[in-house]
Amino acid sequence: MDTQQIELIAEHERARQDQFQRRITCCASTACLSAGAGKTLEAIKQAVAQCSCAEHEVEVVKTGCMGLCSKGPLVRVESKGEPTVLYGEVTPEVACHIVGQHVPSCECSAPAEDVALAVPEPEGSVLVASAQERLLARHLIPLDLPFFTRQHKVVLADMGTIDPERIEDYLAHGGYQSLVKVLNEMTPEQVCDEIYNSGLRGRGGAGFPTGLKWNLVRRENSERKFVIVNGDEGDPGAYMDRAVMEDDPHRVLEGMMICAYAVGASYGYLYIRGEYPNAIARIERAIKEARRRRLLGKSVLGTSFSFEADIRVGAGAFVCGEETALIHSIEGKRGAPRMRPPYPSTSGLWGAPTVINNVETMANIPSIIKHGAGWFAAIGDEKSKGTKVFALAGHLRNTGLIEVPMGITLREIVFDIGGGIAGEWNFKAVQTGGPSGGCIPIEHLDTPVDYENLRKLGSIMGSGGLVVIDDSTRMPEFARFFIDFCVDESCGKCLPCRVGTVQIRALLDKIIGGKGQPDDLDKLEKLCWTVKKTSLCGLGQSAPNPVLSTLAYFRHEYEAMMKEGTHA
Amino acid sequence: MLNVTIDGKKLTVPEGSTVMDAALAHQVDIPRLCHHPDLHPSGGCRLCLVEVEGRADPVPACGLVCADGMVVHTRSPLLADMLREIINLFVSDHPLDCVTCDKAGSCALQKYAYEFGVTTTSYETRISRSLYQDDNPFFVRDHKYCILCARCVRVCEEVVGANAIDLAGRGFEGHISTPFDGPMIDSKCVFCGSCVQVCPTAALMPVSRRGKGREWELQRVASICGYCGVGCTVEYALKDGHILYAQGRPDGAVNGEFLCTKGRYGWDFASHPERLTQPMIRRDLAYQMGLTDQPWQLPQESPLAVRKFKVEDSFVAVDWDTALDAAAAGLAAVVQGSGPDAVMSLTSARCTNEDNYLFQKFMRVAVGTNNIDHCARL
Repeated sequence: MDTQQIELIAEHERARQDQFQRRITCCASTACLSAGAGKTLEAIKQAVAQCSCAEHEVEVVKTGCMGLCSKGPLVRVESKGEPTVLYGEVTPEVACHIVGQHVPSCECSAPAEDVALAVPEPEGSVLVASAQERLLARHLIPLDLPFFTRQHKVVLADMGTIDPERIEDYLAHGGYQSLVKVLNEMTPEQVCDEIYNSGLRGRGGAGFPTGLKWNLVRRENSERKFVIVNGDEGDPGAYMDRAVMEDDPHRVLEGMMICAYAVGASYGYLYIRGEYPNAIARIERAIKEARRRRLLGKSVLGTSFSFEADIRVGAGAFVCGEETALIHSIEGKRGAPRMRPPYPSTSGLWGAPTVINNVETMANIPSIIKHGAGWFAAIGDEKSKGTKVFALAGHLRNTGLIEVPMGITLREIVFDIGGGIAGEWNFKAVQTGGPSGGCIPIEHLDTPVDYENLRKLGSIMGSGGLVVIDDSTRMPEFARFFIDFCVDESCGKCLPCRVGTVQIRALLDKIIGGKGQPDDLDKLEKLCWTVKKTSLCGLGQSAPNPVLSTLAYFRHEYEAMMKEGTHA
Repeated sequence: MLNVTIDGKKLTVPEGSTVMDAALAHQVDIPRLCHHPDLHPSGGCRLCLVEVEGRADPVPACGLVCADGMVVHTRSPLLADMLREIINLFVSDHPLDCVTCDKAGSCALQKYAYEFGVTTTSYETRISRSLYQDDNPFFVRDHKYCILCARCVRVCEEVVGANAIDLAGRGFEGHISTPFDGPMIDSKCVFCGSCVQVCPTAALMPVSRRGKGREWELQRVASICGYCGVGCTVEYALKDGHILYAQGRPDGAVNGEFLCTKGRYGWDFASHPERLTQPMIRRDLAYQMGLTDQPWQLPQESPLAVRKFKVEDSFVAVDWDTALDAAAAGLAAVVQGSGPDAVMSLTSARCTNEDNYLFQKFMRVAVGTNNIDHCARL
């Protein structure tokens, strides 16, 4: 396929979509699917099929994540000449009413009296609304909520709009145009420089400048080079990469191919966590479609650039998210990290220079190429550019997937976007970076979110898990949860992580059980520093962060637990 | 060549050497448990942490490649504190059985616990592994002493090439395992015992030495293995004149520390009562020569039917000169009587190359025949 054919397919798809008066989209991402989106989608399709509407009246599309996962399944109705509406918690019954409401010719809605019974008209109401309207009003999610308006979508731009299982839809939304641009107009060096100038830093957590990494690999003189996309997202509560792979798989592929062109690689692996069957299936489908359209394989778009991509499925080890452990896993070895240097950029997969980037990093690439480095660098703050996707979780009113510009304050995320704490408790802390991150208390809520600031507070950016906790949570127990996770996930290669985390947990258990000795807190702190400073890989080096940060900001809770124990 | 400074010593080292290589080559001792000079660095024990000027955190010397002008400190109060804490953690997962342990005296963990003054752990003692496997006649695997340095795994992969063992399980539950924890005999193990050689603790111990003596009581005798022409250096550890075990020596010119299963475990003939320690002549010949007054005749029955007899019944011990004279006279008689081609010779792979060369020379020149063969060709 060449550039013109891409344009032709995109044009054709746009024309096809334009015929429809309405587009009803239903989220089919894992969060909504587990809330029952599969049945909802079926109900919508059935309702529409039973309509006596014209052929191009309405199109039903399954899309990816729309963000507000706590209100799933989500259904959106886009109609020509009317404002777009979003519904939440859409059961199959509600879905029928949605179709009934928005498709005038539909006759499938439940008998009016049933609805009237279920949703009685409020007494003394002056509103003239049908029972069906009243019912739908309960499910309506206003799109002017700060949850939506405060976000800045780059990576998630097409998610929730396009059908992730159709390459045509991606092409219709400008997909693979960046690849076309790169292959026809830019040298590999220019691509690397463009990414470097954009200020994009690795979204896996460490924040290494992506352009710098690419340039290192590009300059390596080797016949064989590899590109690896790290989709082994394992932080409890984090699912940014899952959503991107599931809901916009071609964006990841496109980013990967641009990277391969820039560094001179012709083969790439997508290493996907085994617990993400949906993401694996959709990436697999995307690869097949891209191959069928000759976007993958020999002479991509008629140029001399060739690229093949393959999937490797992880077997459930958190440590395989660490780049050297991941490489070992792809090589068929035990997933354990090794000492660096040599870094993968000089000696990676099978000893060849290798770029490893996180899914979100790769998903940023097409947008940077499309809009330019300057556009990207204008988003965010001084040292951290662009946006960051977070998985908001915990005791919040609105939980789900959000994308915000770097430099936004934690307060804006928690209170504006997240809508504050749900229930009668108060905000206590926000935990960023999963088990490797730390807990940030209320007094630091006005800190702008970027790599350096979070590290200063004893936490890390991490891959984007953001757990908000209210003051019903006891911090030593919260810290114990994460240490327990690290004990389970430690590979066992280096002593501090293998034995140290077990001893941290034992000390925490002692303190939580009210049997703490006066010197136990100092002992705990010293042990945590030892593990942090002496462990081999990032897992061990950051495993004590939840304990250290809670010791720093909530030491009184530990002390109170020790006192309770001595009194009892 | 690169210039580096380690603990104030200005050293010149070849490019590509690690700080550990450089330090050990210049008699700077860096604590280490998982490091072994013949194996790739693993970086698991974290004991070789050193401070490098310009770097915020300590780095392991075993994996740190020297750069020109690098300034390294291997001793500092901060490092001492960290290492003590690491040993403290090691000891929390290791039985302190040193009073009865066979390895006491040559155990690397004991050495560092002593050096850093760690008498006991300040944490809870939690021994993660308890498996005890004595499934082969050569060595015992006692997992509770294992510190997961993975030297055994690396030696099996990198030196022996057998890949019989690897780390199984994760984290604290990790242990060294054959496939599916099966018996050693069902794995690809060749029983060379290289893993036992490199084990720093009592996790892998020769069966033959268990309970037989303390390490410091043993006499150590360096020798050359007699099993083949390679000529590996082998060291026998003896107590009261009896071998307790054999091992390689780091200064072994041919083999380094490594031996094969014969050299390491096949030494029980040395103190066997039936071992021949001097030359002997068959009793009938000795009688003819007047060396004994007891006549003897070769039994007439088929050799297959001959019951095992005592060697003294049919042979007489003589000195070397007598034995060689008798052999030479017998050989000369055959050559003179029937010609040189009536003689054939067979030599052995247990002899050295030089021995074999001399022997064929002797056959061709002294005896005058080309009837020469070798057991390795049969």
